[in-house]
Amino acid sequence: MAHEMLPVPAPFTGRQEIDLDDVREMISHFHYDDFEEAQELILSALQEINEVYGWVSPEAAEIVAEHLGTTSERIYALLTFYADFRTAPRGHHHMLICHGMSCYVEGSQALVQQMQDDFGVKDSETTADGNMSVQVVNGCLGVCDLSPVVKIDDAYHGNVDAATLTELVRRATTTRSPMTEEENHGSHRTG
Amino acid sequence: MAHTAPVDHLPRLTSKKDYVAFRDTARKNWAELWEGNRTVVSVGVGSSSIAKGALDIFAACRAHASNATVVREVSGNGAFWMEPWIEVKRPGEPPVIYGPVAVDDVSAVLTGARNDLAIGVRSDKEFNGIPSLNDDPFFSNQQPIITRNAGVIEPDSIEDAVARGAYDGYFKALFELSEDQVIEEVTTANVRGRGGGGFPAGIKWASGRKAKARPKFVVCNSHEGEPNVYKDRQLHESDPHRILEGILIACVACGAERGYNYIGGEYPLAIRRFRKAVADAERIGLIGHDILGTGKNVAMRVRTGGGAYICGEASALMYSVMGVKGQPRTKPPRSVEEGVWRRPTVANNTETLACIPDIVVNGGEWFAAIGTEESKGTKLMTVQGPMKRHGVVEVPMGVTLRHVLFDIFGGMREGHEFKGVQTGGVSAGPLTEEHLDLPVDFDSLSDVGGMLGSGGWVVFDQHVCVVDFARYLTAFNRYESCAKCVPCRLGNPALVEILDRIRFGRGTLDDLTLIKRTSKHIIELSLCGLGQVAPVPLLGMMQFYEEEFRRHIVEGVCPTGTCPITAGEPVLAAGD
Repeated sequence: MAHEMLPVPAPFTGRQEIDLDDVREMISHFHYDDFEEAQELILSALQEINEVYGWVSPEAAEIVAEHLGTTSERIYALLTFYADFRTAPRGHHHMLICHGMSCYVEGSQALVQQMQDDFGVKDSETTADGNMSVQVVNGCLGVCDLSPVVKIDDAYHGNVDAATLTELVRRATTTRSPMTEEENHGSHRTG
Repeated sequence: MAHTAPVDHLPRLTSKKDYVAFRDTARKNWAELWEGNRTVVSVGVGSSSIAKGALDIFAACRAHASNATVVREVSGNGAFWMEPWIEVKRPGEPPVIYGPVAVDDVSAVLTGARNDLAIGVRSDKEFNGIPSLNDDPFFSNQQPIITRNAGVIEPDSIEDAVARGAYDGYFKALFELSEDQVIEEVTTANVRGRGGGGFPAGIKWASGRKAKARPKFVVCNSHEGEPNVYKDRQLHESDPHRILEGILIACVACGAERGYNYIGGEYPLAIRRFRKAVADAERIGLIGHDILGTGKNVAMRVRTGGGAYICGEASALMYSVMGVKGQPRTKPPRSVEEGVWRRPTVANNTETLACIPDIVVNGGEWFAAIGTEESKGTKLMTVQGPMKRHGVVEVPMGVTLRHVLFDIFGGMREGHEFKGVQTGGVSAGPLTEEHLDLPVDFDSLSDVGGMLGSGGWVVFDQHVCVVDFARYLTAFNRYESCAKCVPCRLGNPALVEILDRIRFGRGTLDDLTLIKRTSKHIIELSLCGLGQVAPVPLLGMMQFYEEEFRRHIVEGVCPTGTCPITAGEPVLAAGD
């Protein structure tokens, strides 16, 4: 059935190697009755993989294509059209800089600029040591009362200014374990 | 999520009598929960509050609560400024809401030792010196209809939803009204498309019903690609059964075999809660074959998007549902003639469908009495920017902008002056001080270049340079252009280039003319709604803040100091 409850994916933990057996097991939950339904499931399947691993590798794309009766070329057309998907692995930590209108109004452009000037990373790039990748969110992270917002791994950081950003990057790049909500306390309170 | 209750305890309902018994039990349990002598603790868990640690608060409540206490995971209630919050209902007392709460406060809040954190009581009267929530302007000025369950029911519990009236409209549509009567109620209600289009849903449904080809589909457009709009996310997270009920009623009324809900991939919690709602409704027999013995069949599919703004456009959305690139196509044929899999498809916005259950239950006349002559009902609105408060509210159509911004959301924060408000997301112009007394409805704002759109409002202050802001909005559209048609694909980058010239102090007055000409081309020649409105925010900025554009060009001054006018050669801004 299309809406059998899918297993809740574990939070992103910075792993990059895609375990193809894992992918096969994930994809096997996508059942379909006919060609049309299989086509409808492609995006959801890719999303599962992207959420767990942070990117979709050519091998994983091949598995999806095979299971859902399409080609990997077609999968790549989707991966490169839809903004959520990544076709290259992330850094050990992944930073989302929200660049929605509310964050813009409260100063997110300066944060994007700072990442470029101080740390040499632009949108969709990874630091030279592979420690942190940056993604500028053209849409919105949806927590506008914390604007401007940065999300590192699973933790949100609100009301970020230049000093906070520097500190966050320093903390993230000196540890390999994912940043958690714990480290976030205090920085998310608004006045 | 913290928990996903097993659905196994739910009964299978195969007749009208079964359903009535199920509903009555749910209502009885609900009443007992609130009238009994157990303490009930509810934590508002939604995307916005999770970002502020609501899951930790929920865990702490479980750890600190006694065995006799019921701890519930409800959703956020739209009041972002008080998140994360806890509601405590002690026996014989009205429920008290506390917020924002830190993990260390939880045990004291539960024992009643932290009344300083209390925001208000859910009651008409104050209690123990704690004011009534109804006295807070954020709540007293709202008219909650489609959000009345937000923060009240457990979104993962179909029993909670049913106890609070979910599926009453569906029940009526199945057993008491004919298909034509349902459509007539919706037509009488004159509920207009809440995604921004404003097209009457009743007319859409009537043509959907007339369509001969089989099978037919209903699509719920829950893709909110627009920055700073999350009314649909809020609806999904707080009351998923309401949306599902709206889709099911539409299916029954139009004679559609299958309903789709297309949800943006950015909202994992909304997707999970809606999927749970579908699984539960399917389990008890409200979806599937021979629903409650009526012989009617409706299937339901949930599809998710991949972060492409354009997929909010109806035809692009349908391509995305079919698993291909979401690029709009020319019309006709309209989607009601040829939609998903080239079959007749009725597509409505989530908020529109969320209005349907109450319309069916209370009648179209009731709905039509709310709001204004041309715009009926209520509207969800999200307000962002340097305001005292943030969140999602539901207000009747026709209230003034000033009322929403300054009464409900408390006005500007200290040190920020109101300069303007960007309406209609990235698809309309800004409004200024002089427009604040306009009523919020489908038509009034459009007359001055604004737009009700999907109800997302971003207030900006004196620190924001309108040239830079206009560039930001144009760059957004450039990035989100699907690249199918040339005017949009090439025109938007050209506009960004011109704006960059001005930002870097190399603009000429001719550039303003050039912007207008290029914009005209994009507006007139683009294929879909995105392109046709892409330059509108820029034109609006130029219209209302022309002086600021001129100062950039003539004096070489950026009044706010935002633009790199003296920085030399134009370079691409970060993020390009």
